[in-house]
Amino acid sequence: MRINIKIRTGLKYFFMIKKADILLLILLVILGLFSSFIVFIGNTEGDTVRITVDGKLYGEYSLKSDREITVESGDHVNNITIKDGSVQMTYSSCRNQICVNHGSMHLTNDRIVCLPNRVIIEITGKGGLDDISG
Amino acid sequence: MTSQAKAKKVALISLLTVIAFMFSYIESLFPLPVPVPGIKVGIANIVVLIALYRFDFKTAFGLNMIRIVISGLLFSGVFGMLYSFSGGVLSILVMYLLYKTGKFSIVGISMAGGVMHNLGQLLTACLIMETPGLMVYFPVLLFSGIISGIIIGIISYSVERKLPHA
Repeated sequence: MRINIKIRTGLKYFFMIKKADILLLILLVILGLFSSFIVFIGNTEGDTVRITVDGKLYGEYSLKSDREITVESGDHVNNITIKDGSVQMTYSSCRNQICVNHGSMHLTNDRIVCLPNRVIIEITGKGGLDDISG
Repeated sequence: MTSQAKAKKVALISLLTVIAFMFSYIESLFPLPVPVPGIKVGIANIVVLIALYRFDFKTAFGLNMIRIVISGLLFSGVFGMLYSFSGGVLSILVMYLLYKTGKFSIVGISMAGGVMHNLGQLLTACLIMETPGLMVYFPVLLFSGIISGIIIGIISYSVERKLPHA
């Protein structure tokens, strides 16, 4: 009896879904797969770390030489570490720590973003500062 | 509308606003351990959906705006408020339009709302941070919006069904 009721409520949930819902879901999933594909094929190895603070370029650093960068703006502090060809946010004074949880990255279509402190780390492709300086 | 019915409506809407505000406060206490900013379950949207179904667009829109302003002032700051504001306005407009067509269930409406909320926030982030490259997060935020929207839609459906009719 109890199982029967459970199946009936389960069916009720199922029948509440309308055709338009399914169509919308399929449309969104296709859009998602398509945009994932575009992001994926553009994802290449880069060699320059680009740090943006408050929408302004803070500095560009080579991904090949290990170093620590401390970004201070106002009360905000972010520590960025470049090590073994990858870059990582090692410390952030922000509340949600999403940027620190991101871990390390080395591809051009990845971003480490700290929205509360307004710091963005990007990786740009070949032809960065290193190539210009020789 | 009698003054008594009016008073009842005002009291109910205030109560819904407080519940929505409490939901966004509870959610801000437990940030999801994800590497991408903007991913949330969006439990406050349950209240917005129920207000849309039981009252009207004006009520749902108004209580969501009040919730965003209060939680922005108390917790997330001015920029956090801007993100929630653009996400909130875009998602409620789309949810209302889909609701008006009568072709979607609450789950589909909530799913569209989740996606639109994330899209609004992402576009605002691109503008504020002056970095259009943030759009690489679009696929992740789209899928997370779909999933959380469906979860919230199912919860809203079962809550709405059990609420007494005024």
